[in-house]
Amino acid sequence: MTDPADSVLIEGQKEKVRQGLSRRLRAERRFRAYGVVAIVLAILMLLFLAGTIAANGYSAFYQTWIKVDVFLDEELIAPDGKTDPQTLREEGDFRGALIESLVASYRVRGREKENRLIAMFSTDAERTLQRHAIANPRLVGKNISIWVKASSDIDQLTKGAIRRDLPESGRKVKDVQLVWYDRMAAENRIETRFNTGFFSTGDSREPEQAGIWGAIVGSFLTMLVTLILAFPVGLAAAVYLEEFAPKNRLTDLIEVNINNLAAVPSIVFGLLGLAVFLNFFELPRSAPLVGGMVLALMTLPTIIIAARASLLAVPPSVREAALGLGASRVQVVSHHVLPLAMPGILTGTIIGMARALGETAPLLMIGMVAFIVDIPGGPTDASTVMPVQIYLWADSPERGFVEKTSGAVIVLLAFLVVMNASAVYLRKKFERRW
Amino acid sequence: MNEKSVEHVVTAPPPEAAEADPAGADRNPVKMRTRGVNVHYAEKHALRDVSLDIGEREVTALIGPSGCGKSTFLRCLNRMNDTIDICRVTGRLELDGQDIYADSVDVVQLRASIGMVFQKPNPFPKSIFDNVAYGPRVHGLVADRADLEQLVEQSLRKAGLFDEVKDRFGDPGTSLSGGQQQRLCIARAIAVGPEVILMDEPCSSLDPIATARIEELIDELRQNYTIVIVTHSMQQAARVSQKTAFFHLGDLIEQGETPQIFTNPRDEKTQGYITGRFG
Ligand SMILES: Nc1ncnc2c1ncn2[C@@H]1O[C@H](COP(=O)(O)OP(=O)(O)OP(=O)(O)O)[C@@H](O)[C@H]1O
Ligand SMILES: [Mg+2]
Repeated sequence: MTDPADSVLIEGQKEKVRQGLSRRLRAERRFRAYGVVAIVLAILMLLFLAGTIAANGYSAFYQTWIKVDVFLDEELIAPDGKTDPQTLREEGDFRGALIESLVASYRVRGREKENRLIAMFSTDAERTLQRHAIANPRLVGKNISIWVKASSDIDQLTKGAIRRDLPESGRKVKDVQLVWYDRMAAENRIETRFNTGFFSTGDSREPEQAGIWGAIVGSFLTMLVTLILAFPVGLAAAVYLEEFAPKNRLTDLIEVNINNLAAVPSIVFGLLGLAVFLNFFELPRSAPLVGGMVLALMTLPTIIIAARASLLAVPPSVREAALGLGASRVQVVSHHVLPLAMPGILTGTIIGMARALGETAPLLMIGMVAFIVDIPGGPTDASTVMPVQIYLWADSPERGFVEKTSGAVIVLLAFLVVMNASAVYLRKKFERRW
Repeated sequence: MNEKSVEHVVTAPPPEAAEADPAGADRNPVKMRTRGVNVHYAEKHALRDVSLDIGEREVTALIGPSGCGKSTFLRCLNRMNDTIDICRVTGRLELDGQDIYADSVDVVQLRASIGMVFQKPNPFPKSIFDNVAYGPRVHGLVADRADLEQLVEQSLRKAGLFDEVKDRFGDPGTSLSGGQQQRLCIARAIAVGPEVILMDEPCSSLDPIATARIEELIDELRQNYTIVIVTHSMQQAARVSQKTAFFHLGDLIEQGETPQIFTNPRDEKTQGYITGRFG
């Protein structure tokens, strides 16, 4: 150690280490900079995406209402003098009453102008009148003042999506309607309110009446079917493969194929569903039942892979400890391994479900792309789901559906965020260190 | 079986006479007997023709260089090797004269009577109480909560851990120190009421003080249990065991009284290993 030659050698090595050190530090700094740049870019893109969607979609959550003075003309709405709910519902001509009152208040003459005036109101307006009359039959024959929904064009005008400075031929709202609109605005008859209908109704041809609730219920039923099918099957398959199956050619083959299935494009599962569930088993079209089955097929490999990974991550010492105490293999799995693996399994399942929730392609194949107004009451009713609803609205030419599309995207994203957040929460909550 | 175990745990076994008389160890009846045991991991021949007697209520130490098959042999004794697909065990292994690999033997019962303590302390990620209570619960050894509590306390006392944890039964077992965790694992094994306890390098991850504590404990447990311990420490083997078996490359080279093995080994391999260790 004290040999002078030795110490020269050591000095030389130290020098080399020093030189290498600054190079290593530089490389490290460079690498960190790349990382920061990548993250900043990703955040910018995300903000841009979220920003455009929010800017386009937030207006879907409120809606223009107009206050009208209406004379509930008995001759029109209660022709035989009866004001019981049934007559009002079946025979009352509330549209006629509305037109009559509007024509009178705005002194409109001529068929065309009449049509323009009534076109400022949603077809929902007459139903609002009808409901009001049914609830208060004594108002029949009286003048009432009531808020009704504006038509989509007027709604868009209020929200600034229809520009007044365009020539009349280039815009949906005509000059004469603008004059009436300004008069209503001056009389404080125009108001925007939170669009509750968006969250309580199904699809509609009229943008101002279209809602996402039908699609939400459809998505919920579909996800329910998916979860009921995919979770137990996936869990059982994973537990068997990881804990009980012998390691041989056959299980290797199964493993490889599960991994392959996870990579199969989702539309292929749709085709499979069409061929097997619809054509062969003749299950109903457009139904959450079939959609859920197709999505379960799609989600199954994801769940199996996630579950196997979490089971594998449980330390073998826990298994040995339990086996050494005389627990049977099933007891080892159910008492120790599964509880420890559960957070990971649930996370994998939720992420798989979130993917299924946003899936469109396979559902197009089995007819869930239909226009459906009614809220589905069960898994065999025809229905649509949120991403398909978005696709349908994005495909509609009316200006009013543009904001609905973005609004629906916001709702869908909100669901996804909630699901992913719950995955994170579950993992944090049940994660145990050992 | 279950009833017998309860009795075994709740009522203290009769005091042992052999303790006072070192030579008396020789006269201890044989608790476990192995004859011509061969173990293969797939193609690998890990143990060759091992024939060893394990005396009742004494400590048998298994020593030998790394990879010689000590753990493999130990795991044959409670059939833990069953869980390894590629492992094949042949030969005869007996507990109280009964073949433990016979078809009629239930591994669950077997492992209830042959407990195991592992190299790394491996408490369940549950409370201290639940760790000890797990075995009795699985085997249905206790009728009610009061019995269970009594059994847990008794087991913790026997493992010398009770005073340290009596105020914190609800804390996770993993929150204890390494040495305490290992004693918790011993308590957990004792709670099932085993007759034999297998220990695979129980002190290898512990500091000297914790090790001394465990060694004392092993010495106490010897009064009531048959103990087989794998160790890499010659001193430990010399301190705690009455019998020693030396393994080398899958062969059982030599077995005998511990003092004899350490002072006067018959085989030169044994001599080499022991002296090599002592420097
Ligand atoms: N699960 C297994 N699969 C394949 N081979 C194994 C397995 N377990 C042990 N072996 C082999 O069997 C031989 C004996 O291993 P064993 O673990 O019994 O040694 P050991 O004496 O306990 O060693 P150490 O002192 O290092 O713990 C080794 O050569 C090892 O490679
Ligand atoms: Mg070992």
